[in-house]
Amino acid sequence: MTKKSLATAALTLLALVGMSMSAMAETVVKIGNVEPLSGPSASVGQQGKNAREMAVEEINAAGGIKSLGGAKLELIYADSKSDPNVGVTETERLINTDKVNIVTGCWNSGVTYPATAVAERYGVPFVVPVSVRDTITERGFKYVFRIAAKDSWWTRDQFTFLKDMKDEFGTELKTVAFVYENGDWGTGFAAQWKKLAEEAGYEIVLDEPYPSTATDLTPVVNKIRRARPDVLLLTSNAADAVLITNTLSDYKVTPKVVLGSGGGHADPTFISGTSDNAKFMFDIVEWETDVNKPGAKETNDKYKAKYGSNLTGEAVDAYVAMYVIADALERSASLEPAKIRDALAATDLKTGPAAIVAYDSIKFDATGQNENAALAIVQINDLGQGLERITVWPKASRRAGYTPVFPMPQK
Amino acid sequence: MTPQSFKKTGLALLVLTALALPLILRSPTYLHILIMLYLYAYMTTTWNLVGGFAGVLPLGHSVFVGIGAYTSTVLWLQWGISPWIGMLVGGCLAGFVGYLIGKPTLKMRGAYFALATMAFVEGVRVIVENVDKLGPFKLNGPRGLNIPPLPAGESSFLAFQFSTKEPYYYIILFMLMGVAYLTWRLSRSKLGYSLSAGGEEPEAAEALGVNVAKCKVTAMVLSAFLTALAGTFLAQMTLFIYPKSVLTLDLSFELAFIALIGGRGSLAGPIIGALMLRPVTEFSRIYLSATLPGMHLILLGVILIVVMLYQPRGLSEPLTRLMSRLQDRICSTKTGGAQ
Amino acid sequence: MDLIFLLQDVINGILMGSIYGLVALGLTLVFGVLKVINFAHGSFLMVGMYVAYWVVAFTGLHPYLALVLVTPIMYIFGYLMQQWLIRPIFVAERDVREPITVIIVTTGVWYVLDNLALLLFGPDYRALSPNPLKGEMIELGEILISTPKLFGFTITVLTAAGLYWFLLKTRMGRAIRATSLDRDAASLMGISQWKVFNVAFGIGTAIAGIAAVVLVPVYNVYPTVGVPFDVKSFVIVVLGGLGSIPGALLGGVIIGLIESIGPNFMTSTWTEAIVYGLFLLVLFFKPSGLFGQKYDW
Repeated sequence: MTKKSLATAALTLLALVGMSMSAMAETVVKIGNVEPLSGPSASVGQQGKNAREMAVEEINAAGGIKSLGGAKLELIYADSKSDPNVGVTETERLINTDKVNIVTGCWNSGVTYPATAVAERYGVPFVVPVSVRDTITERGFKYVFRIAAKDSWWTRDQFTFLKDMKDEFGTELKTVAFVYENGDWGTGFAAQWKKLAEEAGYEIVLDEPYPSTATDLTPVVNKIRRARPDVLLLTSNAADAVLITNTLSDYKVTPKVVLGSGGGHADPTFISGTSDNAKFMFDIVEWETDVNKPGAKETNDKYKAKYGSNLTGEAVDAYVAMYVIADALERSASLEPAKIRDALAATDLKTGPAAIVAYDSIKFDATGQNENAALAIVQINDLGQGLERITVWPKASRRAGYTPVFPMPQK
Repeated sequence: MTPQSFKKTGLALLVLTALALPLILRSPTYLHILIMLYLYAYMTTTWNLVGGFAGVLPLGHSVFVGIGAYTSTVLWLQWGISPWIGMLVGGCLAGFVGYLIGKPTLKMRGAYFALATMAFVEGVRVIVENVDKLGPFKLNGPRGLNIPPLPAGESSFLAFQFSTKEPYYYIILFMLMGVAYLTWRLSRSKLGYSLSAGGEEPEAAEALGVNVAKCKVTAMVLSAFLTALAGTFLAQMTLFIYPKSVLTLDLSFELAFIALIGGRGSLAGPIIGALMLRPVTEFSRIYLSATLPGMHLILLGVILIVVMLYQPRGLSEPLTRLMSRLQDRICSTKTGGAQ
Repeated sequence: MDLIFLLQDVINGILMGSIYGLVALGLTLVFGVLKVINFAHGSFLMVGMYVAYWVVAFTGLHPYLALVLVTPIMYIFGYLMQQWLIRPIFVAERDVREPITVIIVTTGVWYVLDNLALLLFGPDYRALSPNPLKGEMIELGEILISTPKLFGFTITVLTAAGLYWFLLKTRMGRAIRATSLDRDAASLMGISQWKVFNVAFGIGTAIAGIAAVVLVPVYNVYPTVGVPFDVKSFVIVVLGGLGSIPGALLGGVIIGLIESIGPNFMTSTWTEAIVYGLFLLVLFFKPSGLFGQKYDW
């Protein structure tokens, strides 16, 4: 061999070794996601999945986690079937077998509650995008972080909204009716509504739980009709939200205010299932497409083009959760659980794609709760381009140029 | 080697392997899967006492699981009574309820009995979902009951909570072996013979002086008691119970399906069913649900249909035949001939 | 004033109840003839609803006109189910007293169909579109009557009458009745048991298809939509008497009335418990139901 060819061979070998070394050094950060991909909450689980994938694609395309040598994020999914036992098993599996670095999930509060306990036991950070049950962040856990507001904040904001509307429009609101799905979520809300209503001096004329799988809600609507409430508060899942809204309209029941609690009322199929019957209804949500934040519209358009529907509260928080994780990883520059946990605890995210949330920054307090999480109230109305959800409260976030229709016009 | 010693050695090997497994498989996830497997094998074996031996089709057996779970949990949360004692109380309560349910329904035709058991479990579920308190007992409706976990790393036998999976593994293993032994003894007892006679030809059995109805009810009460013990175990494993987790038709159906596919009426059938089907459903859920949601349920349904069409007595039959052939080879005997 | 509301509830109960009765009608026919409770009946209803949904979506036909297509499709579906899945078990268990295995297989079919629908169509709730019946109400003073439910009531009565006429007057109908009364005697008379079973199952499923068309304008379609109707159908069928047509309708109306009037005295979640309680009472004290005959099988 000539000297030249020897040199070439040596250089090639060096290059190969170098490339393989960098390939080995390219770490992957595994994020485990426990979502209801089958069962009654399957459509929400799918939204959460889509949103995460979109975020991770963007993060990886932008170079991954730079402080970890461009490490890419990898998503691993587990189906909880909305069953807490399954959720617990799956969380354990993700942690022990798949050895994920971080876990997110699980939409159903009933699943998130025990699943986060598992992560806490193993010392693996768990980011909760949306499950609202208060007690998830009230157990003194160190490894659990929640982005969305607690459910006591939801009900609190619902009543503050009512008060603000009363003041703004000078309408009298004396009587209130609660109609809610009789699961964990609905009964939890109802218990708080009762307290808040009594404090605010309302007269409760109806307290009606109903089974979410009811085939006919006419009897419930008839009871509402009979009670003649000024305010109707609803907590419903997807199928019953549509059924009750249509039935309310069929039977010409028009309280002064109809206020939903997200969930079924925020589902993408709600408006298509009810069309004009949903007009002038209010709903409380984590986020809405017209929120006055830079990048919100573009991100929503991108999601819509990819997956066919607008971002919902769950989708946005799942999307944002990925960026919160990426941000924490950048700051921790390490895959050690304790370091990631500390980085998460120090989060104060104001800018970037995660800042499309309706509030100013994501900052976790000592219990792991995002202390800035706020909610928005929207009204469903047709402004000439079809039915849409328009942010109306807090007043500062209200869509420019829109005055809410209050109270609801009588039929 | 004689057939008897073949069987004995085989059994001994099985038991030894089961006892030793936690030392080999250290991963908590695999242990957890095994624990759930044994739990299902336990529940299907107790189901078998009614579904197999008494020859009827109970499709609401989870009501006993629910009673067991709720009883021990309520006693622990409200009065600090150890779940072990709560387990026994729950078992007795379930046995009583089993008597109440069984007395009028076991006389009915198969389809009616199945429907009645379904109505019971659904009725109980609706009631529990709608009441916060039943007299002095806090049931908490749909929100269910949470058992506060001991601080990380702590275990307590009395409180029936352990920080590692191993104790749970051994407890359920012993429960399973106990119930399997019980079933074996039962099948050879007077009660067992009466039941199988009553299942095949009730009139003839009655003519021979067998009180078929009484035997069936006894089986039901026994089954109820034992199933409730599993409920307590489940509650202590997951530390969280709510109506749709323990009082659901889904669980009842799953137990029935597994026992049927495995082969009801036989000793090993339910256990074999659980051993084969639980991994199939678990793994198909783990690997397929992200891309094909609900696939694991489709698989379970298809397997059920196929097995029922071609092997209505369950898969334990062809498997036992295989075993006897193996036994013949090893012991150089000819099964079925004169010995 | 209160009386008006009560009347409103009664009317709604009767209308909704008749639709429940229509759903249960197919089930009771199958039971009366084959002595088998088809646990997958709710899933058949779901299939019918998806078929109706797609027919309307692709052709833009008025949903009631879509009946013309939906009914034969469902008939064939039921016929084939019976032929492929149920008949082999009957043959295998010829000497067993009660083919419990059939119940098990139909439960398996339930699981498979519901989850197959989830897999193929996704979990989304679909509203019928175009839906000319949406929100149509008839106003009689203070009382509002839902037009699609009123149509449902009419269709139920017509279907029941049609079925009755079929069983009484046609040859196949008489063959079906003979087989349901005494399987072996009918066989000896030259009636092909299997043909009868297939036809009966087919008709039962076709009726589920009619019920699906009636429901689809008022109720969204999704993979597990059949489940609440399934359980209700069992209750109705036992209440009314297995195999009895007027029993199915009356049973349905009773359930409908309980669901509508009950909430006046308690929250609607308790009416479920009442329905189950009534069910158990009937099973204990009069298992043959209101109109059923005492079968010796």
